[in-house]
Amino acid sequence: MKKITFLLLFCLAFHSMNAQNTCATAQVIPGPGLYVVTTVDGTQAATPVCTENGAITNNPRAEWYTYTPAQNYTLTISTNISQNTPRIDTRFHVYTGVCGALVCHAGDDDSGENYSSEDSFPVLANTTYYIAFDNRWTANGFTFQVTESAYQEPIGQPVTFTNQSISTIDSQYNIAVVDMNGDFLDDIVGVSSTNIKVHRQNSVVPGFTIFNYPTEAANNMPSWSLAAGDYNKDGFNDLMYGGGNGVTFMKSTANGTGFVKENFTQYVFCQRTNFVDLNNDGNLDAFSCHDVQPNVYFLNNGSGQLTFYQSNVTPGAMLLGIHPNGGNYGSIWIDYDNDGDQDLFIAKCRGGSGTAKINELHRNNGNGTFTDVSSIAGMADPVQTWSSAWADFDNDGDMDALVGASSTADGSHKYMRNNGNGTFTDITAGSGWDTNTSTNIEHIAHDFDNDGFVDVMGGGNKIMYNKGDGTFGPSSVGFGVGAVGDLNNDGFLDVLNGSTIRMNNGNSNKWIKFYLQGIQSNRNGIGARIEIYGAWGKQIRDARSGDGFEYMSSLNVHFGIGQATAIDQVIIRWPSGIVDTIVNPDPNQAILVVEGSTLSVGGNDFTSFSIYPNPAKDIVNIKSGNNFDVVSAEIFDLNGRKVLESAVVNESFSVQSLSTGTYILLAKDSEGTLSTHKLIKQ
Amino acid sequence: MLLLESNFQLRMKKLYFLVSLLILSIAIFISCSDEDKETNYEPVSPVVVDLTQVPYPKLSDYKFFEGEMKNQIPSLDVLPYEPISQLFTDYAHKKRFVWMPKGTKATYNGDGNVLELPVGAAIIKNFYYENTLPSNATRIIETRIMIRKQNGWIFAEYVWNDEQTEAFLNMDGGFTSVSWTEESGIKTVSNYRIPSEAQCLTCHKFDEKAIPIGIKPQSLNKDFAFSSGMKNQLAKWIEVGYLENNLPSTIETTVNYKDETQPLELRVRSYLDMNCAHCHRDNSHCDYRPMRFAFNETTNRTNLGVCVDTQDMADFPSALSRIVTPGNPNRSMMFYRLDTDNESYMMPLIGRSVIHEEGKELIRQWIESLSPCN
Repeated sequence: MKKITFLLLFCLAFHSMNAQNTCATAQVIPGPGLYVVTTVDGTQAATPVCTENGAITNNPRAEWYTYTPAQNYTLTISTNISQNTPRIDTRFHVYTGVCGALVCHAGDDDSGENYSSEDSFPVLANTTYYIAFDNRWTANGFTFQVTESAYQEPIGQPVTFTNQSISTIDSQYNIAVVDMNGDFLDDIVGVSSTNIKVHRQNSVVPGFTIFNYPTEAANNMPSWSLAAGDYNKDGFNDLMYGGGNGVTFMKSTANGTGFVKENFTQYVFCQRTNFVDLNNDGNLDAFSCHDVQPNVYFLNNGSGQLTFYQSNVTPGAMLLGIHPNGGNYGSIWIDYDNDGDQDLFIAKCRGGSGTAKINELHRNNGNGTFTDVSSIAGMADPVQTWSSAWADFDNDGDMDALVGASSTADGSHKYMRNNGNGTFTDITAGSGWDTNTSTNIEHIAHDFDNDGFVDVMGGGNKIMYNKGDGTFGPSSVGFGVGAVGDLNNDGFLDVLNGSTIRMNNGNSNKWIKFYLQGIQSNRNGIGARIEIYGAWGKQIRDARSGDGFEYMSSLNVHFGIGQATAIDQVIIRWPSGIVDTIVNPDPNQAILVVEGSTLSVGGNDFTSFSIYPNPAKDIVNIKSGNNFDVVSAEIFDLNGRKVLESAVVNESFSVQSLSTGTYILLAKDSEGTLSTHKLIKQ
Repeated sequence: MLLLESNFQLRMKKLYFLVSLLILSIAIFISCSDEDKETNYEPVSPVVVDLTQVPYPKLSDYKFFEGEMKNQIPSLDVLPYEPISQLFTDYAHKKRFVWMPKGTKATYNGDGNVLELPVGAAIIKNFYYENTLPSNATRIIETRIMIRKQNGWIFAEYVWNDEQTEAFLNMDGGFTSVSWTEESGIKTVSNYRIPSEAQCLTCHKFDEKAIPIGIKPQSLNKDFAFSSGMKNQLAKWIEVGYLENNLPSTIETTVNYKDETQPLELRVRSYLDMNCAHCHRDNSHCDYRPMRFAFNETTNRTNLGVCVDTQDMADFPSALSRIVTPGNPNRSMMFYRLDTDNESYMMPLIGRSVIHEEGKELIRQWIESLSPCN
């Protein structure tokens, strides 16, 4: 106490009243102790903001301090101390750098009791830190405590993120990261009633160039969700605004230099919206969850004209969630049964004891009809959920689900393993999801650290990293779910929260991205299954438009591959049935795949398998170069349609049933190694 | 007043006599009724609610109103009523009416539960604005009707024409714009929402089954200026035969949230009950969130969300991590959701397109008055 009293006296005696009003006149903190702020009235605002709850718009004020340790410490700054009884609602920022060019180092708003602040962070010897308390909540005075303790190495995180605020991201809705100019680089899309503002990612110099596209006034705004896809197949993405009373589309015109409105007057209480080719005719259709009625969709006639359907209401409509009272919140389109078409899972939510809250899984029968398989599949759960994150979390070749709770009133998160036979098993216990108490309306699946295992972001401002051993572990990132894409084209996924980009600083892991351009299939290749093979085995993705609840994230297909240095093979299975194969692409690149483009190139690209005779009349002999048995063969025509699937017995199989012509043979050995070959049938 | 009441009793007696006579007549033979005609001076309600035919295509088909329909003069046996605190609907004025078939009546089911209305009953609610532009006239926008059928309640939504001569059945919903003059100047609601059937049900339901909201004893227990004079609404319902005469002697009653002579907390509880409880109570649209805003549940601070963590933080600043933070509206999700017209953030979820400034200020005042969390 004596020491503290002395310090206080010291401060009062030797520092003028205004000494800490600016960065340049910051009061020196000589060491640990208690410091009194009489009122927060310094004229220089604390920028940048290093913690939660944003900038102060009205009369920002701050009190400035500076601290230069003689040795490394872990420093704690706290207003959560008994001197402040009751606690004061403070906020502070810690910077390195020099006045005028400050860089955030630490900071806190609300970690203490009753919104007081406390934060511990490493400080290095002979480095000067600036500490600024601001008036975000009150200008009232308070006391803060500075404590030095033994230096601890900061705990490593798989990746870190740097905040980058862009004040020109100022549309009414800044919830989309997707390419808008056809170069496949992710852009930032802002939507206002009569304007679409695109921050177009520059192709050479990092950064963005702003383009504004005035639109007719939108009848419905994307207040519940936004989806993007090229439904008029002109090479430029169109937008779907999911509002509380209906759906409005903005369709690109004139090579993406403008938009024309296509509005629907039908009442729809939109929730998640998606673009998806429902009838697999190569034309992208649109879908919207309906909160209080059966779901709705919009079929594309191939000329970019959409027709409204409501399941179980419009005569002949597909049955895509027909509960009369809805409860439909988070639709996501995935191929859960690996049959090449897009199935629908609906995360559902509803109060009361009715059935509208029971989640639904609808199997695409491949013929324009769907079957409700929720119960058979084991997915008919009443958990109150607004979205589910789907990915092959265990890299066993099928899509698993993390059904994320928005409320625990009817159970919590469910981690569901796809058994590969049309059913799922609840493997939540021990997975890390059982102990995660953060609820959220958003749950999304991405590989944020490029380690080859898909992670999940949900509630609690953290990423649940997939450790690859069936468990997930939290890592705090200090921000929540937003639109996800690669905003600096470095192969690591970034997140857009409002006008702030959380730029992923990356790590040494490798990655690969695919830009899909459908020809026979829909232009975006939505619904394509992408497989990559390598040291990790197999990873898969389904190209989709619209995941989580609200945001529109990149349409590009992103994989991390950890420390692997090679990718043996990539297979893109388009919705049309066409299969493209890329052999041994280099990691750390984006590859544009035009549908069908790899069918005609090269002949026998694979030396590991040999086939003869070729041309063949009946029996084809096939031998794996590495002495494993070849077990199966699939044959595709040049349109990519599978025309034959056969077991390979004694290194041979018959192609007698094929018509004369040129085909692609995809063979697999007992180790799962794949090989493709051009085969001519005589 | 006394005279009017006696007249009423007289009428009731006569009615009873007539009914008896009618039964007697039928018992003898039907043609008898012709001879009784000259004694049948008792006015008969013109209202027609044929459960096999409703909802009718036009509002006038029900004959709920006498004279020019736009004057909103109820027909005989169509009883006006008004809840003590009212739901905010973009500053629209409302007139409410109830009608029941002869000889049927509602039953009491607790102060905080809606009265159980008999099969055939109808509740009628007109939504209108006064001094609308350009001619300063009253404009009725819509009439929402709920009808109690054998299997439960149905909704019937009628949209008024520009001439204000008729309203037509429309269950699909729509928008209209309205501007009107107030003391403070011209106000405009450019996206006034006329609800679709599914939107009616979103609020008017219990376990997905349609129910009324406003006709709870706790909300009706006040005096109302009937054409016959001031009278307690529940007493009036009993008097005209619309309600069983078995109500408890005291009723836990809400207050008018606008009444500044009432305790602040009571006003807030009354406001939240009428504007929020239809979704935030058990078996309602959003009962998976922790708030319980029904009037009889809000003596408990926790049910009001005071010092309760917000569950849905997606897209919201961390400042809003509690539903209500005592003393601090800016850190209270409840205040935030009342103080926005962004439809994905605002509360109530539907039923308004503009901010209810007076309601918002009431909540602000209340939050600022609260003592800190423990």
